[in-house]
Amino acid sequence: MPSHNAPFFSPGLIREPNIITKSHQGVRLSTQRAEKLATVEAISEGLASLNYISNLKISTAVFLAHHLDKPVLIEGPPGVGKTELAKSVAALLNMECVRLQCYEGLDESKAIYEWKYGKQLLYTQVLKETLGEILEGAKGLSESVAKLHEFGDVFFSEEFLEPRPLLKALKNQEGCVLLIDEVDKSDYEFESLLLEMLSDYQLSIPEIGTIQANPDHKPLVFLTSNNTREISDALKRRCLHLYIPFPDADLETAIVHARVPDVPMQLRDQLVAFVQALRDLDLKKVPAISETIDWAKTLLLLHSESLDQDLVRQTLNVILKFQEDIEAVEAELPMLTNKAIKRD
Amino acid sequence: MEKTLVDFVKVLRTAEVQVSPAETLDAMSALPIVGYEDRTLFKNALSILLSKNPEEKEAFDTCFDRFFTAEDLQSLSDAGDFFDPSQFDDEGSEGFDESSEQKQSGGDRSQRGQGGGGGGGASEEAEAQSDDAFDDSMQPASALGQLLLNGSRSEQMVALAEAGREAEVNQIVVFTQKGLYTRKIMEAMGLKGLQEEISELQQAGGQPRLGLAGRLKRARDLLRDQVRDYVERQFLLHADEHGKQLREELLKKVKLSNLEKRNFKDVQEIVFKMAKKLIAIHSKRRKTYRRGQIDIRKTLRKNMQYDGNLFDLRWKSSKVDRPKVMCICDCSGSVSNYSRFLLMFLYSLAEIIPKVRSFAFSSDLGEVTDIFQRSNLEDAMAKTMRDYGNGSTDYGQMLMDFKRRCMDDVNNKTTIIILGDARNNYGDPKSEILREMYEKSKRVIWLNPEPRSNWTVGDAEMKKYAPNCHQTEVCNSLTHLERVVANLLKYTV
Repeated sequence: MPSHNAPFFSPGLIREPNIITKSHQGVRLSTQRAEKLATVEAISEGLASLNYISNLKISTAVFLAHHLDKPVLIEGPPGVGKTELAKSVAALLNMECVRLQCYEGLDESKAIYEWKYGKQLLYTQVLKETLGEILEGAKGLSESVAKLHEFGDVFFSEEFLEPRPLLKALKNQEGCVLLIDEVDKSDYEFESLLLEMLSDYQLSIPEIGTIQANPDHKPLVFLTSNNTREISDALKRRCLHLYIPFPDADLETAIVHARVPDVPMQLRDQLVAFVQALRDLDLKKVPAISETIDWAKTLLLLHSESLDQDLVRQTLNVILKFQEDIEAVEAELPMLTNKAIKRD
Repeated sequence: MEKTLVDFVKVLRTAEVQVSPAETLDAMSALPIVGYEDRTLFKNALSILLSKNPEEKEAFDTCFDRFFTAEDLQSLSDAGDFFDPSQFDDEGSEGFDESSEQKQSGGDRSQRGQGGGGGGGASEEAEAQSDDAFDDSMQPASALGQLLLNGSRSEQMVALAEAGREAEVNQIVVFTQKGLYTRKIMEAMGLKGLQEEISELQQAGGQPRLGLAGRLKRARDLLRDQVRDYVERQFLLHADEHGKQLREELLKKVKLSNLEKRNFKDVQEIVFKMAKKLIAIHSKRRKTYRRGQIDIRKTLRKNMQYDGNLFDLRWKSSKVDRPKVMCICDCSGSVSNYSRFLLMFLYSLAEIIPKVRSFAFSSDLGEVTDIFQRSNLEDAMAKTMRDYGNGSTDYGQMLMDFKRRCMDDVNNKTTIIILGDARNNYGDPKSEILREMYEKSKRVIWLNPEPRSNWTVGDAEMKKYAPNCHQTEVCNSLTHLERVVANLLKYTV
């Protein structure tokens, strides 16, 4: 059970009584998970079985996150699979993935909790009507006040609490993966709001008290950042830091193979070589893995067996998202294509 | 192992990887989980735990490779907790893997740890003895000689580390000092006595004496190699980065116009660093705004005392007051360097002052905002200098152009920065236009690279311009520049 230090809880509000079954289930789950996270190799294999091809660093980060109970801050260019990692880990461990998308102006009422105002107002009205019954027989003000106190304060209680992603993740008794996506898009204030959650796995709600995660099943937290701004040191300090760069050719080939298995081998090698060459050019937005995969799918739809200039020219808009990039690449297209084809 | 880790963290910090004590503790707690048998795993784990951005990761990689050589980790895992190199050498374990001899004697290390020098220097002696048959009746007289021939390797290392400390080798700054420190350490270890003894032995002649002299000589040369390696290590660990820091400190103070092209890269790095610091300080400031969304929670709380009737409303939105900065830079020969770095600074701050409009002039004024937004800093700078860099300065023309083109855009939130030496070639200063700008804008700041005493000498018009500015500053080094920009942020953000 959660160790809520809720000072003015009314007794009726404590959670449902299926504690025993839950904890049994919990033990089984946790051993299963521990097995899957036992070694770095096991993690790599597990992720690979879900078609997420990780490298040693990625697996090490997941490994440490589990064993040290620390959140992971994932940085890297867009489209290298930062969000995908969190989702894959959730799938691997068979856990719920709670996602919080960050944006400018995100605040605690959208990230942690909100009161159900309508119900609260109704409650006060109901209370007003039944006030007479409660105070029946009380003499004088002090006695009435004493009676009121006995009645218990439900106005600020979990009953009227609308949990948002962070609180949901914390209250999940079986553990879950919490994905805080694009944390760099949020404001500085929000970062400080996260600190309590990230270091102690607890959240303070002033009216109720501190809510803590189940100590046996702390949520596995992943934060992603696109580096649009520098994340504060305080936040970085509490996290493991994983940087995912663009993959090298071998890894990318493996990824394409895992994600689009039907692509013929020759084409796969060629298109990966082509994309790798593109990344060396001075482009406004270089193609990421997600674009490589999209391209592979496109070429598969077109039933092509190998790359040629016309094919590349026609499908260039799948991997390049700016007109000026497309124009820049078109000039060098013959050279790039030849290089990619020759490589194998 | 813990001590070695702490030493490693120390080295990381000199290499500008910011490692907090909490992170060090995290790394410690990770050690039992990852172990150090698997070097890649160990490295990846530490990298994830200690370095927190791509630049730091790069620095981390070099430091790691330098600090933990393959043999080091091997010996650490061989000997485990039993043998802790740092108990002999508080500079870290770096002194322990250089000579080939170590590998030979690696096996009996644990034995030595127990027996205190029992099998010490075995390989050395064995080598020497093979030459001199059974002639070890002759013992060296000098302290260093005794240490070299009879002392254990750990004793030698202790002596070496102590001598190193005495010579203050961790103060080493530039690579030319390597020889100096090698000699200092050798001397501190008693080289003089050894030399005298060798020459005495040689002069005296005779088989046992000459044999001893030969052994001592060999030991001495071996020691010299070791000391040199040791100093080299110390240099790489301590000085390489210290040297960089020293250079940065100097560059911050040097006059910007005296900078040479080869320093530009360093300076740019410093500017980015400064800008980052300023962003961290100033980006949090926001004004609460009495409009926008209602904060229902606060409102309910506030109005409970009024029987739940909501009449005292609370607002939740806060407003970021984004300042507008217009920057007018003189791009003529003498001042162009200053303009370069001011612009660099302002555009590095894009996160907190997104609306910078910049103008360049030597005689005619032109807006360069677009160039800076479209291309990277260096290209933009080069283009600006090419397009506006030539011609004699004409401040009057500049002010007239400014009035014609963008006086309408100036409002009470605009800060105008003018950078120039106000040397107008005896033309009409048109200070009345500056007056107009002064009245319309929030602040007019004039930055002048020349010292204040020169502001009124010759064709300088500062006397006429200064009263029409809110602030005039001498600005000729990065430190000045930083101060000016920090002030700017204080007033505008």
